[in-house]
Amino acid sequence: MTWSSPLAGVLLVGAVLVAGAFVVVVVDRAWGSIAAHQRVRVAALVAGPARDGALLLLTRPSTTERPDAQAWVLAPALVVAMAAAVVAAVPLSPGIAVADVDDGIVLIGAAFALVMVGVYLHGWSANSPMPLTGGYRFVALALSYEMPLALVLIAAALPAESLSVGAIVASQHDIWNVVRQPLGLPLYLVVGLGLATWGPLNMADGADLAGGTTAEVSGVSRLSWELARRSVLVAVAVVGAAVFLGGWQGPLLPGWLWMAVKTLVLVAVLTGLGHRVARIRLERFVVVAWAVLIPVALVDVFVSGALAL
Amino acid sequence: MGLISRLAASADVPVFPVVGIGGRTAARSLATLGGIRVVDHPRAAVLMLLVGRPTRSLLRPLLAVHDQLSGPRCTVWWRTGRDGGDELVAALPAVEVLPVGDASALRRVFTELVNGARASDPPALDDIETTPWRGVGPYGQGGSGMTGGTPYGRPLVGRAPDPDGLQLDQLPLQVGPFFGPFPPGLVLHLEVQGDVVRHASLGENPFTRWPGDAPLGPLESGVFFDAVAEVAPVAGLELARARHHLRWASDALRLHGLCSPARRLAALAERIAPGDAELVVRIARQLGRSRSLASVMRGVGVVDPERHGLRQGIVARSTGVPEDARLSDPAYRPLGFEPIVHEGGDAWARFRQRLDEAAQALILAERAGERIRAPGPAVEGPRGALAAGAPSPSGQLLGILPELLVDQEWGDALTIVTSLDLDVEEAAHEVPAEASA
Repeated sequence: MTWSSPLAGVLLVGAVLVAGAFVVVVVDRAWGSIAAHQRVRVAALVAGPARDGALLLLTRPSTTERPDAQAWVLAPALVVAMAAAVVAAVPLSPGIAVADVDDGIVLIGAAFALVMVGVYLHGWSANSPMPLTGGYRFVALALSYEMPLALVLIAAALPAESLSVGAIVASQHDIWNVVRQPLGLPLYLVVGLGLATWGPLNMADGADLAGGTTAEVSGVSRLSWELARRSVLVAVAVVGAAVFLGGWQGPLLPGWLWMAVKTLVLVAVLTGLGHRVARIRLERFVVVAWAVLIPVALVDVFVSGALAL
Repeated sequence: MGLISRLAASADVPVFPVVGIGGRTAARSLATLGGIRVVDHPRAAVLMLLVGRPTRSLLRPLLAVHDQLSGPRCTVWWRTGRDGGDELVAALPAVEVLPVGDASALRRVFTELVNGARASDPPALDDIETTPWRGVGPYGQGGSGMTGGTPYGRPLVGRAPDPDGLQLDQLPLQVGPFFGPFPPGLVLHLEVQGDVVRHASLGENPFTRWPGDAPLGPLESGVFFDAVAEVAPVAGLELARARHHLRWASDALRLHGLCSPARRLAALAERIAPGDAELVVRIARQLGRSRSLASVMRGVGVVDPERHGLRQGIVARSTGVPEDARLSDPAYRPLGFEPIVHEGGDAWARFRQRLDEAAQALILAERAGERIRAPGPAVEGPRGALAAGAPSPSGQLLGILPELLVDQEWGDALTIVTSLDLDVEEAAHEVPAEASA
C-alpha cells in the first residue's frame, strides 16, 4: 500500500489521531487516579472515553445569542486539520510516510502556528465573555509559544542538514537529538503544552474562566473540540518522538512500534505534568518565554549550528 | 436502548450544583462521591442539583442556569436543613427531591434521562427580550453613541483609558451568583478591559434575610456559631476547623488546575480524624514546597492589616498579626496553643496559613481528648473570631474584596477571591445573641 495516496494517507493520519486521542484520555486519567491516591481501575479507564463520548453524542449542542455559527463549527475542524497536517509530515517508520516533504519542519511550524487561529475562533464564536477571554489569552501567548518552537525545530534540523523530518530521524542514527541537544526537548515540551492548551498552560480553557472557550459548548461540538485539543497533543508527541527521540530507530522492535512507544512516553510526560504543575500566570509566562525560553532556544540553535559545522 | 445510550448511561454523571441557603457543606461533598463529576459550567451538565433552599434573589439566576443546560436535562434537589423554598422551586419545570449525599439516586435520574425513560425538562424562561432595544439609538443597537446600548438586556462595551493612557474597550459584566469558581452566592459587578478588572463592586447578597423569611442555615461554619452560645467539645471544633481548611485547600488546588490532588484533599477532609495530623503536616509541607503554586499565588492580593482594618482572623494572621480568640479561651490554655503566623499577607501566605492551621487543629484535637469548651464571648471560627454583635469574618472580608480586585488580571482576581475563603451566607448571618449573656 502506498501511504502517500490520498485515501491511505487520510486513513492513516485519522487512525493515528483518533487512537492517540484515546490514549491521551486513558493515560491522563491514569495519572489523575495516581495523583489523587485512588486505585487505578483499568477497565474504567479504557471504557471511560467511549462512555463520555457517547454521552456527548446524546447531548444537544448548545447555542448562544448571535454566535458566529460557521466559525464555531470551523474552529475544531481547523485545529484537527492542523494536527493532521503535522502528523502527515512525520514518517512513522521507513516505509510508512504520508508526506515526508523536503520542508517538513517548516510545514510543522506553520501548522502549529495556525492552531492559534482555531483556538481564537473557538473563543470568539460563542459571543460570550468567558470564551472570548480564553481566545484572547491564547492569542496573547501564541508568539511566546511559536518563537521557541521554531528555534528548537531549526536547531534539530541543523545536524541533518535538511528540513525533512525523515532526514532528521535518519541523522539520529548514532545519537538522538535529546542527547546531542539537551535544551531542545524540554523547551519543545513546554511550548507543546501551550499549543495543546494543556495542564499548566491550559489558559484558554482554564478553570478560572469556568472552561474558557468551552464554557458555552456542549454535545457534538464539545466532543469535536476535546478531540481537537487531544489531536494537537498527539501531534506534539509524534513530532517530539521523531525530532528528539530518534523516531523509528531502535533495536529488535519494528520501526513503527518504536515510534509508538516513544510517542506514548511523551504523551505520558505531557499529561503527567498537568497533574503536577499548577496553572501558570499568563503575564509571568510571557516574561519567562521572552526572557528565558527564547534566549535559551537561541543558544540551542547557535551551539547546534557550531557543532554541525 | 441502543449502544450509545447504554454507554452514555455508564458515564460519570455530570452535575452542576447551585447552592442555596444551608447547602454549601452538602455541595462540597459532591466532589467525593464516586461516579459523579462536578462541572464548571451548566452547558457541560445533565443534572442541575439544587442544594439547600433557594431565595427570591436566587430564583431568576436559577432559572437562567437551568435553561443553559443543553439537554437532556433535569433538576434535582437536595433539601438540607430547614424546610421551605417549595413555592420558589415550583417555578422550575420539574424537580425531584433526592436524599442528600445519595450518589445512586443521582445516577438513577441520570440513567432515566439518558435512556429516554424520563423526559428532558422544557425551558423555564420564555425566549423573549426582557427589555426593548431594537431600533433604539443611532445604529439601532439600543442606546446612544457608537458603542453604548443594551442589546439583549446586556450593556455593550464602553471606552475608558487604560494605565498607559490608551482608550480601550471596557465591558461591564455581572458575575455570579452561580459562577462555578466563585463561592456560592457571590455577585460581583465588574468592568473589565480584556481580562483585567478595572472596577469591581459587590452585588446584593442573595442570602439576605427579609422579614417573613425562614431563618438562615445550617451554615458550613455552623458548629462555631453554635459554640458561642452552647457548650462544645474542643476536639469537635478543631476537627471541624481542619475539615474546613482542607476543603478550602481542595477548592484552591482545583482553581489552579490541580484537580487530582484536589480530589485527594476533598476525600481526606471527609474522613479526617485526630490521628491524621502527621499526614496533614506532610501534605502541607509538600504543597508548601510547590514552586508552581507559589508562583501563581505569591504577591497576589496582598492584605495590609492596618489599611484594610483586619485586626484578627486567619487573613490577619497570614500578615503576621498573632491574634486568635483561642489565646484567651480557658479551654485551650492547657493544650499549649500558640497562634501560627505567616508573613507577606498575599494569597500564598494565606494558602500556607490554612494548611498549617489544619495540621495544628488536628494536633489540638488529639490533645483535647474529651475537653469541653464553655460558652464564651468569642469563638475562633475558621475565618476569624465570632462574637455577638460583631460583623462576621466573611462580612469583613467581603468588604475589602472589591479594592483587592482592581487592576488584577482575571486569573489573579480568582486567586484572590478563593484565597479569602468567603462565605456569602455567613456574611448575612447573625451570631447568636445569647453569647453575650
